[in-house]
Amino acid sequence: MYSNIFLPRQWSRIACLCRTVSTVEAQKLPQNSNSSDGISPPPRIPRGPTDILQALAATVGPDPTAAHYKYHDDPYLIPLSNFRKRSYALSAEAGRKAAAWIRDEHADLFTTREWDPPGKKKTPYLNADPYIEAFAPRPIYNDESKVTEEDFNYTIQNALLEDAIKVYELLGGAQVISDELKIKFLQLLCFYNEKEPISMDWVEERWFAANTRERQAATWRLGGLADSIFTSMEPKTPEAYCAVIQGMAKYYQAERAHALAQEAIEQGIPLSTSVFNSLLSCIGFLKEGTTLRIEALKTLLSQMNEQGLTPNHETLTACLRSVSAWGGGKILQQIALQVIAEFRQIGIQPGLSAYYYLLCLFCKERGAQIDILTSILNDLEKREKLVPQEATDTNFFITAMGVCSDHLQNIDLAERLHKLLMKDDNYKLVGDAYKESIYYRHYITVTCRHAPFEKTLQLLDTLVPNVYVPEPSVMEEIIRTLEVGGAGDRLAQAWSQLVIFGHANRTRLVERLLDAFCNCYQYQDDEVKAKIRSAAADILKFGQMAEEKEESGDRRSPVQKLSATAISNIIELCSDVQDKADPGWDIVGEALNKLRAEQAMGVPARPEILIEVAKKAATVGKPGIAATAVTYLADCGFEEALTASVQTLSLMLNRTEEEVQALLQEDRTKLTSALHPSALVVAEAYHAMKTGTTLHSDSSTSSESDSDSSSDNE
Amino acid sequence: MSVFIKYSKPGSLGAVFNVQVLWRFNSTTAESIRKEEDEEFRVLDILKKKDRQQKKQIRRADIQPDRADRMATDQNWGNVWPGPKTFHPSSVPLPIRQGYVPKGQAPPGKKANAELMKIPNFLHLTPPVIKTQCEAIKKYCTEWPKLLNSEETIEKHYPLEIISSDYCHASPTIRNPLARVVNLRIKLSSLNLDKRARDKFLRLIGDRYDEKTDLVTFIADRCPMRKQNLDYVNYLLTACYHESWSVEDWESEKTEEDMEYYDWNNNASKRSLVNWFLKCNNEEKELTDEEYKNFDISKIPNAEGYKNAVNSLMNDGECDATLKTYGSSVRKLLGLPEKKVT
Repeated sequence: MYSNIFLPRQWSRIACLCRTVSTVEAQKLPQNSNSSDGISPPPRIPRGPTDILQALAATVGPDPTAAHYKYHDDPYLIPLSNFRKRSYALSAEAGRKAAAWIRDEHADLFTTREWDPPGKKKTPYLNADPYIEAFAPRPIYNDESKVTEEDFNYTIQNALLEDAIKVYELLGGAQVISDELKIKFLQLLCFYNEKEPISMDWVEERWFAANTRERQAATWRLGGLADSIFTSMEPKTPEAYCAVIQGMAKYYQAERAHALAQEAIEQGIPLSTSVFNSLLSCIGFLKEGTTLRIEALKTLLSQMNEQGLTPNHETLTACLRSVSAWGGGKILQQIALQVIAEFRQIGIQPGLSAYYYLLCLFCKERGAQIDILTSILNDLEKREKLVPQEATDTNFFITAMGVCSDHLQNIDLAERLHKLLMKDDNYKLVGDAYKESIYYRHYITVTCRHAPFEKTLQLLDTLVPNVYVPEPSVMEEIIRTLEVGGAGDRLAQAWSQLVIFGHANRTRLVERLLDAFCNCYQYQDDEVKAKIRSAAADILKFGQMAEEKEESGDRRSPVQKLSATAISNIIELCSDVQDKADPGWDIVGEALNKLRAEQAMGVPARPEILIEVAKKAATVGKPGIAATAVTYLADCGFEEALTASVQTLSLMLNRTEEEVQALLQEDRTKLTSALHPSALVVAEAYHAMKTGTTLHSDSSTSSESDSDSSSDNE
Repeated sequence: MSVFIKYSKPGSLGAVFNVQVLWRFNSTTAESIRKEEDEEFRVLDILKKKDRQQKKQIRRADIQPDRADRMATDQNWGNVWPGPKTFHPSSVPLPIRQGYVPKGQAPPGKKANAELMKIPNFLHLTPPVIKTQCEAIKKYCTEWPKLLNSEETIEKHYPLEIISSDYCHASPTIRNPLARVVNLRIKLSSLNLDKRARDKFLRLIGDRYDEKTDLVTFIADRCPMRKQNLDYVNYLLTACYHESWSVEDWESEKTEEDMEYYDWNNNASKRSLVNWFLKCNNEEKELTDEEYKNFDISKIPNAEGYKNAVNSLMNDGECDATLKTYGSSVRKLLGLPEKKVT
């Protein structure tokens, strides 16, 4: 067939792209398992097709500086906030979806045989070599499609639920289809409750779906397709009963499930173990009251025994699931332990799901502190490998970390748990994006509260921001830890992190950060102090930028304004400069203007800051700023304004306080001519405070005179 | 434009009429220009100043610094760069430079350097990484047989070589027709052949034998699959081998012309020598072919050297060395003096 194919030029060029790999094989190896003769090769070590790849992959460890490999490794494309992470990953997946759509919709585009001689170019089928089922175009079924039972089988096998229903209708309903296919179809319908599942292909969509809070309510479709198929089946086979009962139990239609089960048992139809498992897990929907429920549980188990069924690990999980859902209390805890002990006797070890339910039962938020996690961890650490068995297995790590953080507040256990998660490929048990972020929220919280400072910093460096982006509450926790640890450098960094993570608009966090700045400003190095100052200045600028954006209509939600206390914090930080020409003074001026224009919430908690600033500004030679500060104090009605104005004036005019007092008693008109404009403003403030009247006509001009006056004074 | 210039120099007299016409004409053009201005007067912007100003991009504020800056000095490089990929300056903490520049200048740095992106890099295959990878797959490797410790022993126990090529390239298909070609090599000396069978074998395989390396090479590419070609070369070797051992009737009819080499004993040269020798000893006799063939030349002085010289002249071809030995052996045989070195 290929003997006289001429090789077109591009072929050889393509082939040149990769160097040819020449293999020199020995002739057929002698089939002698004994290699001791020293010549024949020893027998081959058996391995799977991907074993070598997995061994090589195991040599690659985590890289804390890199983002997840699904993102591009480029500073512009590495997502640093939860929102970006989600949208980048889903965008990439949207591209894949578009490609899949084109593949399905225009399958005829992929039928060219590139490597064939001309003339044979088009084929009626997809031309892939090798043909891979997963990459082949999916058939599209609509009202005009001509379908056969084969199509029906295909849709069922691939869990294409809506397509399967469509084909079922096209084929003509229950009468036409063979019993075997009908059972398969019924099982499919019952498993998914007639809802199209998210395809396995869309990894990111499943990862970000966050369907953790599934509704614990009867969502089974009464009178749906599954029900009608079941009723139309005659005679009803055990498989049909099993499928329907499990479906009902899975979607919490407990009463009908139990009724059907009773019916089946009375008719002598054998039921499977998994049917009983599903019945066990929805006892709570059937009976009220702990004693009745426990009784029902025991009856079901003994019924299982009568049927000659041996329980498996899912039975254990189902029992514990039921028990844990019934609330707390000594009795239920006792029952749970009994169940576990009995299953241990028949050689069934509790899995991750079972432990998850145990944790739910024992470690209640308000209950007494019970440390069962230690023994659970002891058991799990002894196991060679954690094998995922049920979907609820992914709940274990997040719950256990929650217990470490809230219930036990034990950093050692948290670290042990984290180590277990990082072992081998246990990380897949973390679940999805939502669970992962909750897990890390608990982990970082407990570390911040209870671990040594150095260790916390180390952990934060490895996790933030590539693995986990802290939510506002965790960020607050981190800021508190940094404040207590006195890491001014890191606090200054925290502001840029807030911006990057998209928390910079959260006023509460920013105020908290500013508080932290002020509290540990005193004992920092000069270099760090400068960093903190620039961070504080940046906060102010960021607020202004956000406001401008709001005015130009770019933002939808209104910008929250910083409180006056926060702004006075900024003022305090930025005024800590000796040089008159320092840009810090500009920031102070801006902040004061902001305060005066009543763009801040409330009044400053510590007016003494402003007094200090006024005095300092006066000494340094910024009378405008001093005047604004004093006027603002007077406007707010602080009593300190009186003394402050006198002190400031004395500094400005270089006289003693008594002289100033005397000066202030003089006639106002006289002062106007004698005093410098900013000094006059201070004097006005003094009088305003004294008389209780405000002179708004002057105060409005004072801010404008700032720049003039300060330049005059120089 | 040209219209305007004419109008500005009415110069000579008597052109009043003309001027008026021109004026009217000019005014209309002015109007039309104004109309255009109302819409938009397009200015030829050769330096593209306007566009350049507009292109001023707003830099995103939330770009983190290169991750290379944050890397620890004792990190495991294999984790950072686990597989082959295009060079990226923000992930490689090395001050690399690349590019051609005039003499005396430093090559451009790693940032925005297309030269670095063009060349394939081996950052994923650093010596420690290779070491760990080897360790990781060691568990799938068996021990090398102890006695196969030299090229000679390997050649002795595994004389057969099969060579085929695998191709890997970016294209819609992973198949490459060239992958079907199978090469089989074996040393002729490792085959169990006697003189006659060897001669037949060589005649059967034609130019597939290389005398210099003593290698027999079969290449098969006529079947579409490698497996088929492999079977085919094995079949070829087996068939040729067994065919060369079987003796056909017509093989006895092999004549002097069919000989693959020159055998002095069978040829006229010996006959002449024997005749000459007998004549010299005055024993003229009529000898049969068989007697000529089996005549013991050790009786003749210096005949052995002559025989070898003729053999090498005929088998190895004419060249200075063979001619020289032939000459000297003839001189010796006839008892002539050595050639004087001139």
